[in-house]
Amino acid sequence: MRTVKISDSFLPSSVRKRVTPRTLVGIGVLWLTLCFIVPIVFLLYESLNFGEGHLLANYEQALAWTYINVLGRTFVYALVTTILTLILGYLTAYYIAFKSSRPMVLLALVLLPLWVAIIIRFFGVRLFFLQSGPVQQLFGTDFGILFSRNGVVLGLISALLPFAVLPMYNSLRAIDDDLINASRTLGAGQFQTLRSVILPLSFSGIVAATLFVFILAAGSYLAPSIMGGPANNMMANIIADTQSYSIPLASAMAVVFTGLLLILVGLFNHFANVSEVLGDL
Amino acid sequence: MRARLERLGFIPPLVVVFTLLLLPVVIVVVTSLTTQQSPAIPYDGLTLEWYVELTQDRQIVSAIQTSVVVGVFASVLAGIMGTVTAFGLVRSEIRFKESLATVMLLPIMISPVIIGIAILRFGSSIGVPTGYPMIILAHSVLTFPFVFLIVRARLLTFDARLEDASRTLGANGLETAFNVTLPIVAPSIVAGMLLAFVISFGEFTATQFLTGVGTDTVPIYIYTQIQTGLSPVISALATALVALMIVTSYLGDRIT
Repeated sequence: MRTVKISDSFLPSSVRKRVTPRTLVGIGVLWLTLCFIVPIVFLLYESLNFGEGHLLANYEQALAWTYINVLGRTFVYALVTTILTLILGYLTAYYIAFKSSRPMVLLALVLLPLWVAIIIRFFGVRLFFLQSGPVQQLFGTDFGILFSRNGVVLGLISALLPFAVLPMYNSLRAIDDDLINASRTLGAGQFQTLRSVILPLSFSGIVAATLFVFILAAGSYLAPSIMGGPANNMMANIIADTQSYSIPLASAMAVVFTGLLLILVGLFNHFANVSEVLGDL
Repeated sequence: MRARLERLGFIPPLVVVFTLLLLPVVIVVVTSLTTQQSPAIPYDGLTLEWYVELTQDRQIVSAIQTSVVVGVFASVLAGIMGTVTAFGLVRSEIRFKESLATVMLLPIMISPVIIGIAILRFGSSIGVPTGYPMIILAHSVLTFPFVFLIVRARLLTFDARLEDASRTLGANGLETAFNVTLPIVAPSIVAGMLLAFVISFGEFTATQFLTGVGTDTVPIYIYTQIQTGLSPVISALATALVALMIVTSYLGDRIT
């Protein structure tokens, strides 16, 4: 490669001295603040009621029974999705890490869908169960999956599986084989080894997978709108709908929802460092 | 014998997992070849007519153009900001470094619906027009954490002695940056930007609030078509998109 030569006088020394790593952090923080944090805070401002009535009037409305209902549904769907995805994902990660003879091929197949736009994958799941799709052609029924809770959860699992397999696979691969062999040599059976060696040592991967899957599932807009019916709307859908007629109410709902999620992330942060965990991706 | 039985036990969950992961993509590709008027499994013959129609539909061509423009600008912006921030955070000794790194990841954690509405509301209150400016800004925010994570991971394993050596051998700061640091870090920056491009190209949720007249992106077009009526053209469009994204990811793999 050619070497670039730049004379010392290319930049005046006053500029050179000023550009330190700190400056770079400053640029990044300034940009993110302007384009992301300020807009979010602006939403917080818009959720307050400066007209007649209570300052927090919009929150009273946002915490009305119908919306609490949706909030509850959102967390239940996200929880069910997380549990099922974790079980399936752990089995897959375990198989790829310890049992498979072609781990790299399987891993590539797990990661491949990540490169396909999520709307296309939901579209594919829906095509599968549509009237012209193979399931209805073969069985004459969609098994109650289309436009139902089951459809939403199925779509979410299908979309989020890679986010569960990847961190758990990484943490399983990082386990020293000697520890597993030692456990065997010391007389522990297959199951005992899994329970007292492998499971605890892959804990960080499980935490990361839980965090990913839960956050992405709870905030999903497309899964309910493509796979679900009106009775399966989650918070993202309700906020988007509300936005078209009442910005203050939508803002208040967004603040409540984001606040709850961030509290959850904070709790997670207590168990595992989130930025380290996300670095696994 | 026992080992083989054990492996057999894994087969049912693995079949479920790989069916869920891959079949949705496969069925989109397969239904794009149907001779029927709706996206069905082609039992009776294959056709490429939907791909021909794809190139003739003005709306689709315009959506693809929009998505490419948005993707290029957003990934360049996210690439610059992600790299600058990663460099700064890894190389500086500041307090709350870890917390700051977590804040950088907030765009992944907050629902894209909320990010979309927030950027729409704040943007229009300070006079940023909808369409390209807002979509590009939103996409660069949404993809920024990925570039940041990828570049940061590379910098954390960077051997700082290489830079010391360059300085000792007489190169000045800028020369060191261009001849030593950048060539080592560049592949991860490019990989991050390619990922940003792919994410931007597929983003629907935040984008739906920000499009203006004539700036519908490909996912917006696909969503409208899914909701109104289904033609195999959508499958063909989606297949073309899948091909594009997989080629991009392959390029990214080759570079890094």
